[in-house]
Amino acid sequence: MQNADAINPGSMQPPKTNYLTNGFTVKSWLLTKDHKRIAIMYLISVSAFFLMGGVYAAAIRLELLTPASDLFQTETYNKAFTQHGILMIFFFLIPSIPAILGNFLLPLMIGAKDLALPRVNLLSLYIYWVGGALTLWALMQGGVDTGWTFYTPYSTTFSNSYVMAVGLGIFINGFSSILTGLNFIVTIHTMRAPGMTWFRLPLFVWAHYATSLVMILGTPVVAITILLLAVERFAQVGIFDPAIGGDPILFQHLFWFYSHPAVYIMILPGMGVISELISNFARKKIFGYEFIAFSSIAIAVFGFLVWGHHMFVSGQSIYAGLVFSFLTMVVAVPSAIKVFNWTATLYKGSISYDTPMLYAIGFLGLFLIGGLTGLFLGSVGLTVHLTDTYFVVAHFHYVMVGGQVIAYLGGIHYWWPKMTGRMYSEFWGKISAMLVFVGFNLTFFPQFILGYQGMPRRYASYPEEFQVLNVFSTAGASVLGVGLLMPVVYLTQSLISGPRAADNPWMHPGLEWRTSSPPPTENFDQMPVVTWEAYEFGEESGLDLDEARRRDAVTVA
Amino acid sequence: MTTHADTHDHHHEPGLQHQFEDMKQQEESVSIGMWMFLVQEIMFFGGLFTAYLVFRSRYPMAFAEASNHLNAFWGGLNTLVLIVSSLTMALAVYYAQKGKRMMQVYMILFTMFFGSVFLGVKVIEYKDKYDNGLIPVAGWNKRATAAEIAVNNTLVLPWEIRADAAAAGGKDEKPYINPTGEFQWRWGHELVKYAEEKGFLTADEKVHYYSNGQFDPFKFQERVRMFYFIYFVMTGLHALHMIVGLGLMAWLLWKAWLGTFSAAYFAPVEMSGLYWHFVDIVWIFLFPLLYLLGRHFLH
Amino acid sequence: MSDNHSEHAHIGLPGYTAVFLILVVGTWLTYVVSFWDLDSVFPGANTLLALAIAFTKMTFVMLYFMHVRWSPRLIWLSAIASFFWLAIMFAFTMQDYLTRDVGNFAG
Repeated sequence: MQNADAINPGSMQPPKTNYLTNGFTVKSWLLTKDHKRIAIMYLISVSAFFLMGGVYAAAIRLELLTPASDLFQTETYNKAFTQHGILMIFFFLIPSIPAILGNFLLPLMIGAKDLALPRVNLLSLYIYWVGGALTLWALMQGGVDTGWTFYTPYSTTFSNSYVMAVGLGIFINGFSSILTGLNFIVTIHTMRAPGMTWFRLPLFVWAHYATSLVMILGTPVVAITILLLAVERFAQVGIFDPAIGGDPILFQHLFWFYSHPAVYIMILPGMGVISELISNFARKKIFGYEFIAFSSIAIAVFGFLVWGHHMFVSGQSIYAGLVFSFLTMVVAVPSAIKVFNWTATLYKGSISYDTPMLYAIGFLGLFLIGGLTGLFLGSVGLTVHLTDTYFVVAHFHYVMVGGQVIAYLGGIHYWWPKMTGRMYSEFWGKISAMLVFVGFNLTFFPQFILGYQGMPRRYASYPEEFQVLNVFSTAGASVLGVGLLMPVVYLTQSLISGPRAADNPWMHPGLEWRTSSPPPTENFDQMPVVTWEAYEFGEESGLDLDEARRRDAVTVA
Repeated sequence: MTTHADTHDHHHEPGLQHQFEDMKQQEESVSIGMWMFLVQEIMFFGGLFTAYLVFRSRYPMAFAEASNHLNAFWGGLNTLVLIVSSLTMALAVYYAQKGKRMMQVYMILFTMFFGSVFLGVKVIEYKDKYDNGLIPVAGWNKRATAAEIAVNNTLVLPWEIRADAAAAGGKDEKPYINPTGEFQWRWGHELVKYAEEKGFLTADEKVHYYSNGQFDPFKFQERVRMFYFIYFVMTGLHALHMIVGLGLMAWLLWKAWLGTFSAAYFAPVEMSGLYWHFVDIVWIFLFPLLYLLGRHFLH
Repeated sequence: MSDNHSEHAHIGLPGYTAVFLILVVGTWLTYVVSFWDLDSVFPGANTLLALAIAFTKMTFVMLYFMHVRWSPRLIWLSAIASFFWLAIMFAFTMQDYLTRDVGNFAG
């Protein structure tokens, strides 16, 4: 075990070249093979898409402030929710944690100089840009109004919008995610530092391994599905067209074969982040390491067996509905295992409520609600009442925003000092975390009630009796919007005038904290050798967070 | 990024990239990466095979009828051609491992030659479909000229099955009357009759071929069209993979000519080989599934 | 570096030729048997036989041409996993299509 100085030597050394100062030209960024620079470029691009998706969300909530469809034409509304979904799912939720945090941290966490295939990594970024540009072009031409699910035959035959261009954008973008997953799997297998055994890996890495499995096994299926859709739309003949004996339900099968596991592509990395945050801010070895690790893998595998629960009322056979319903209950088990283990980690922990921890605690509550309402929707009987209502909307926003986005924000705050070498304002960080939590609940909890009362999704207008709750929801959305925009301000400000971060501000034993902040291009000055288990906190390891804070306070003063 | 320009700083180990410690780690990484890529390729084609499975099981007779019209000779020949190319590809890897430069070059050339033959045969087959109105997209088939139509047009409606065709040397087809390049099926529906006589035409299938209890040639033609759609998408994507493979081979040929590969460094040949064999395997399944199933009804 | 290069795993020229011949015979066989009417054995026997031959051919290509036989366990695992996931896709899609009439009390 290394002593405190070995873990945190940065404060005594003169500044040296790090990955940010190693070349300042545009070329040195665009042609880089450094996973950290690629992660930063992903951060900027993904944030841009998040902002655009957010604008659509704001437009939708504004329209729903009043019962009549007064802000937009209904056709425009259809496009707004479709584009909100497409931008958020394919260009924000799926790449966010893996391509930004995963890209940045995976090699650092396992003690490698880079990902195993750096050129493939850069290629995946370019593919993301090309897919994104094509999609944005299509949106500017007039957009698409099919819903993000592209259900046939509306999308193939009847829709008069840019289905083909958007579809191809998503098709191209899919390969970005496949290549990222491929790279992670290879890296985790071959690039671990000496002594970094599988069960010493941070759970963040396990979660990314499971995510990568889903990316590789699932994404190609949606790629071929969307390709078939584009071909069908172009040639006006195809296998999804009921007029010539094709089958629209086959489209749903193939689509959800990927798009249900894609939910796990979005949430699994978030769970990895939460495992790191909870154990760090409870100053405690994570409870049930192996269970959390294998539950990630179990989610990745069982996640492929439940896609039919999106199709309970589509015309799928009753028998298949029963099987999918049962398996949906089964896939809840590994998620529950994780929640239990996180809670058990908190038990008798020495908890401190820093900004990332506020997000992590928010995640626990919101993901619990999101997951449990998922069980309502997975029961084949209740679903008949709830399908295509706001209950579904509320459910998946609780998982996707309450789960994934909050984990992502927690992760960004937690690793911000490592990524940029600067500390953000803790005060504004806490305010923003609380605004996000309150705003989120105010936005989406009323939607559970609305959905249960029968308000259907995807309509621009609604009966008057739903207005009160919709006003709550829109009010909450504005709070949420403010909470989400604040980090843009104070994180940017931290880059300019934030205090320099120590190499290990959170006193975490992980490898990513044993290099300087920001790390040098080759990550470590010499190849690290791992002799400790994951999450070994404790004062004897020189990782006393309180002591470090007192020291920092002295330094700042 | 000067630190990344020097991928050849370990001059005693050609091709070792900076992020790896040694060649073994690099080879392992590249090989796992290639296999992961193949896994995603398998799933990519898997979506198509699922579609095939669903529709073959739903319209077995229409698919058998359509499949029997494909030319199994060309399909079989192409299978053999691809197998030969797989052999030469395997030998290219073998000679790269042995460091024999010219033998590598010959083997890669052979592989490219057979790959091109495969694509050439595909062109012949596609041309035949084009000439016979079997491309499922409306307007993409050969448009019969007015003169041809005048010769052929003996007021036989396209869906009327010629009763005496079998007598005329087994060439059971109707004349090509197709001024607008539509998809059309001119080879009857013997199998549906056969299945009905034998009693294994399911009620479900009947729904898809019959209108008001009568066989409906239009409906049947649309089911056949489904087969040809799947046929073109599957073989088309496969051919696209062949073209990508040929591009890879051209690059390998250049590298091999320069003498890049040796017993110590031959990963690019081996990885391209994996890809080539994968494309071969896809065809190994496509050939029986598209060309052969249902042929036993022909006796 | 070259300690593992001196003996590359492969089966040599005779071996490759043998595998090639097996593949040719397999192609010939699958062509010939496709004309036999095996429906008398059980319906779908032709399909099963054709797929069995295709699987055999694929196995030879993978084991020898793609050197899987000498590859680490992870390669075996990824090959098997991809077929397992294909099986999931086929089976769970078909369980819908093949049971459309089950439990349907309306008709």
